[in-house]
Amino acid sequence: MRERKKSSAVEVSSVKKKKEKKTKDNNEPREQKEKEESQSIMKQQKNTTSRSKKEKQRKATEDYQSLRESELSGDEVHGTDHDVDNADDHHEEDQTDGSEGHRGVEESDSSEDEVAPRNTIGDVPLEWYKDEKHIGYDISGKKITKKERQDKLASFLANVDDSKSWRKIYDEYNDEEVELTKEEIRLVQRLLKGKAPHTDFDQYADYVDWFKYDDALHPLSNAPEPKRRFIPSKWESKKVVQYVRAIRKGLIKFDEPKEEEPKFYLLWGDDSSAAEKANHLAYIPAPKPKLPGHEESYNPSLEYIPTQEELNSYQLMYEEDRPKFIPRRFTSLRSVPAYENAVKDSFERCMDLYLCPRVRKKRVNIDPETLKPKLPSRKDLKPYPVACYLEYKGHKGAVVSISTEASGQWFASGSTDGTVRIWEVESGRCLRVLEIGEAIQYVAWNPLPELPVLAVSAGQDVLILNTGLGNEEEQRRVKDLLHVETPTAPDVLDLGLVEDHLLKNLLLALMFTLDGVFGRMASQGRLPLHVFHPTRSIFFVSTKKNIRVYDLLKQRLIKKLETGLKEVSSIAIHPAGDNLIVGSREGKLCWFDMDLSSKPYRVLKCHPKDITNVAFHRSYPLFASCSDDCTAYVFHGMVYSDLNQNPLIVPLEILRGHTSSNGRGVMDCKFHPRQPWLFTAGADSVIRLYCH
Amino acid sequence: MPKHYRPAGKKKEGNAAKYITRSQALKQLQVNTKLFRKLCIYKGVFPREPKKKFKGNHQTYYHLKDVSFIRHDPILEDLRAKSAYRKKIIKAKAKRNKELADILKNRQPEIKLDRLVQERYPHFIDALRDLDDPLTLVHLFAALPASDRLKIEVKRVHNCRKLSHEWQAYISRTHKLRKVFISVKGVYYQAEVEGQKITWLTPHGMQQVLPDDDVVYDVLLSFLEFYETLLAFVNFKLYHSINVKYPPILDPQLEASAAELYALARYFDANSRPSEKVEATQEEESDLRLAQLQHQLPSNEPGALMQLVKDAADENEEDEDTKECKNLFKNMRFFLSREVPRESMLFVIPAFGGTVSWEGEGAPFSETDQSITHQIVDRPTQGHVYLSREYVQPQWVYDCVNTRIILPTDAYMVGRVPPPHLSPFVDNEEEGYVPDYAETIKRLKSAAKNEILPMPGMGKEDLDDPQNLLAEGYISRAEAIEAAERKQKMMTLEKQYHDELKMELDGFKYSSSVSDATKQKSGEDMETGEEPLPDVQQISTEDMSKLLMSRKKRGLYEAMKKGQERKKAHVDLLKQRKKKIEAAEKFKKN
Repeated sequence: MRERKKSSAVEVSSVKKKKEKKTKDNNEPREQKEKEESQSIMKQQKNTTSRSKKEKQRKATEDYQSLRESELSGDEVHGTDHDVDNADDHHEEDQTDGSEGHRGVEESDSSEDEVAPRNTIGDVPLEWYKDEKHIGYDISGKKITKKERQDKLASFLANVDDSKSWRKIYDEYNDEEVELTKEEIRLVQRLLKGKAPHTDFDQYADYVDWFKYDDALHPLSNAPEPKRRFIPSKWESKKVVQYVRAIRKGLIKFDEPKEEEPKFYLLWGDDSSAAEKANHLAYIPAPKPKLPGHEESYNPSLEYIPTQEELNSYQLMYEEDRPKFIPRRFTSLRSVPAYENAVKDSFERCMDLYLCPRVRKKRVNIDPETLKPKLPSRKDLKPYPVACYLEYKGHKGAVVSISTEASGQWFASGSTDGTVRIWEVESGRCLRVLEIGEAIQYVAWNPLPELPVLAVSAGQDVLILNTGLGNEEEQRRVKDLLHVETPTAPDVLDLGLVEDHLLKNLLLALMFTLDGVFGRMASQGRLPLHVFHPTRSIFFVSTKKNIRVYDLLKQRLIKKLETGLKEVSSIAIHPAGDNLIVGSREGKLCWFDMDLSSKPYRVLKCHPKDITNVAFHRSYPLFASCSDDCTAYVFHGMVYSDLNQNPLIVPLEILRGHTSSNGRGVMDCKFHPRQPWLFTAGADSVIRLYCH
Repeated sequence: MPKHYRPAGKKKEGNAAKYITRSQALKQLQVNTKLFRKLCIYKGVFPREPKKKFKGNHQTYYHLKDVSFIRHDPILEDLRAKSAYRKKIIKAKAKRNKELADILKNRQPEIKLDRLVQERYPHFIDALRDLDDPLTLVHLFAALPASDRLKIEVKRVHNCRKLSHEWQAYISRTHKLRKVFISVKGVYYQAEVEGQKITWLTPHGMQQVLPDDDVVYDVLLSFLEFYETLLAFVNFKLYHSINVKYPPILDPQLEASAAELYALARYFDANSRPSEKVEATQEEESDLRLAQLQHQLPSNEPGALMQLVKDAADENEEDEDTKECKNLFKNMRFFLSREVPRESMLFVIPAFGGTVSWEGEGAPFSETDQSITHQIVDRPTQGHVYLSREYVQPQWVYDCVNTRIILPTDAYMVGRVPPPHLSPFVDNEEEGYVPDYAETIKRLKSAAKNEILPMPGMGKEDLDDPQNLLAEGYISRAEAIEAAERKQKMMTLEKQYHDELKMELDGFKYSSSVSDATKQKSGEDMETGEEPLPDVQQISTEDMSKLLMSRKKRGLYEAMKKGQERKKAHVDLLKQRKKKIEAAEKFKKN
């Protein structure tokens, strides 16, 4: 029956189909064989699942087919393609079975019948029962419960104990562990390697052409050989002619081997011709990299190698501060390794070359000492105060102000302890102690020697004191002067009445404050600093940053001196009257030449702290400044009578000795009227005299 | 209203009109950053510093002229065309049209940089002046491994190797090498070509590491492309100047055995013969003068005369320095052991007039050659020793080159730790610190020149005859006697010193002998004793004159002082370390 069926199938299918079939036939036996192999595995495992089921199904279909064929045997033409194919398949299978004498399928069938199907839950996706306690239902509809899962620790322990644990597999469908046998493992390993599971199966067996047409009665195609197989193609020859013409015309070009032009030539043949100037910006050549020093040698002197402590200290540094290159020493050339940063260094250099802005800069290559101004030797400028000669002790508080008597025999000092003391200069004896009761702000002697009067400002008052010095004649005159009958209001005091310089000074200041001319400054809690011109009726008042110069006769502003300082703290005028020095809170000292301009002739930055006072010597070309940094500077300040020559300023000496108290240092400095001596009053309640 | 408001229609003024920022330049040129970078590298355009940075400090500013200089250059179009072409290839590949892609690849337009070289360096001397960086980079790439990932092609590495060898061959051939220094970073060479000092660094011949992070290889490769072209043209010009054809054709066998330098030298030898013929024609003109000269010379030596002329012709081209370099290793034959860096030696030794051979194929003479005077060895022990030659470490060659004398070889013998290798680029006096070995070398040098320096710390006037002084009435009799005594003492000291020098020359072991050290110590003590104590007065006056300086000058002064102090601190540190080392050595001896 099968033979007959085959022939009918061949007749029905088209030629194309035949070809297909042929290939199929070729492949079929191998596939079939494999299938059977796997089936046998399954059998051995006693674990036949879906596979065996399929087998059963197939058997069923096969039976069905044979049934149908028997029915259709009458009219074969109606068989659908599908059916035919199917039938062919089965036929072939059977044939192979028969030829090889393999009874695999039958065997499996029989064995399957013997062994009860293990899987009772059917071909059901397991995730349906993922969260359930049962795994499916048995034939009677009862739930099949899942085996209790071991916890992980226990299973791990069990695995560790059991030497065969590695060959155990969990079978999900049957919910049990299966132990693979040695043969099975071998099979699996072969499968993993991509080989056939059985060793006796030859994967690359020679091809056996199952289709035999040698002894067939009819050829596959009976058509005669066409003519076109024997004569040259017309269209091809036409195309060739077309190409030939195109080539002749030059429409088609071939890649000729390029003529090797000399790549390099004499670029700079004649240098003179290249002299024409390019109209772009001047080229600034990049600076050459620094040449290596001794320390970069592979074998430097030992002293170039940093010690271990230094290396450790490098680790503590910030990464930027760390030295870029740490010298190393190799005892022979062969032990020098490749430099690990070679590419990186080159890259950084390249980055610099194209990303660093280039600027031509003049490099000063001079000795720094030449930058210093040439100054006359200090020896030539003697005498000037050099060393501390005497200390006057007695005050209990900071000495705020000192003043020397015109003759130079006496001087007075006022302190925050509320006393004014009068001292003899040369012996250091305290002649008199005058209790005022309030902290003293300022003391001043009368500049006229014949009237030994002392003015003291304390608190809100200005006191004019009789010092009790001088002979009887003088004492009498002093008493006359100081005899006050009725208190006079300061605002009616006339300037012309008071000839005395000292009094004029004090009173004028008072008058101005009361007049409210500088009311603004008074409201800032700061009395304006002021000096009188020593010879002419000119008056200098400082605002916070500027100095205003008034003519007292014409009663108007002559000049405004711009100091450029933050805050003026003191002011002094040269005895000739044309030069002015101004000290500031930031420690700067300005020298103004009134003939030159309204800007300072010279600014000296000498003190790190506030300048408390500045002073000129009356006869010697000296001036001094004292500051809260406990020092006093002495300068040579020569003013020439020749107007073409600018004043000469030479710093001479730094006088030290005072100690700081409450952040204040030296409060006041005054020159001796005749000698080149300097008095300094310190916040440490000591007055010092510096002599030459 | 913003601070820098410019009404519409009003032109920009000042710096804003002259400079543009980088991003503005990109917009103007319509290029991306990569292309801009490449253009800048090719054209040698660099940012400039405007006086006022109108867009802020963090911006990079280019001069407007520089940017327009780029814009008008045909290279910009070429690069654009190239990128368009690249797109064509990509497209063909994407369409699986392999044939077209191959054709396109073969027909890629080539970018030529020769015009840019000419533009950037209108004179040859300019090119030489800027040759340091190109040489360093080309030498580096010659030693790098090719890498597909980083786009370092084998072809380019080979080209770099070729260029570097050509350059070295020229320098070696014309004896223009001046200084060599082996540092940890590589070997520094300094040559003098047409009065320009050219320094370059070659890496040690090891496998180089290609760092991945921090390095953008695109930048390096762009630079390299320009530098390769530049160096090739420079080489052409240099070869042209000595009448040798460029590019040289090398013996493939020697090339294969990694002795390109030697192959090049051979090429020179083969090629320089026709050049002599050229010279001969020039010499004809001076024949008349020669004939006149011949009368004055002994007539039986015409050959000698010819030699004389030739030498003169050679010499008038060469300056004093070159002559000195040429004759340093004259009549010396070197043999390199396997472990010695061959490339460097093959470059240096012929550059100073020596003959050199090595172990391996193609070597001009073998190790067994009896005429070898020096064998350079860098191994702990030497097995078979020929008595006719000296065995030295490679550092000896470099030190000889730097000092320009043949140093005694004892300190450099096999297995010894060689004396410190000093940098020839350092001016010791300026640095303020002279290493011991520099002193030794100085003495050896002066000894080699047969003029003996006076003892350090001794003036010439001390050597004057005291009697003369007496006669002139400068000093009293007692003083004269004292001076005479002193002179005698000095004489003995000097004699001892000279003896030591001789010993050193004869080849005693390098190490400043103990007596020397103590003497130096005493000298130092003397110095410190003489040094006047910095008195308070001095300090205060210094401060005083600083008061009168203007602020600008004071700033400059202080900066200079700071620099000086840093230098001094460095020198002090070195001195301190040295003292410690000496103390430790003394302790060890005891």
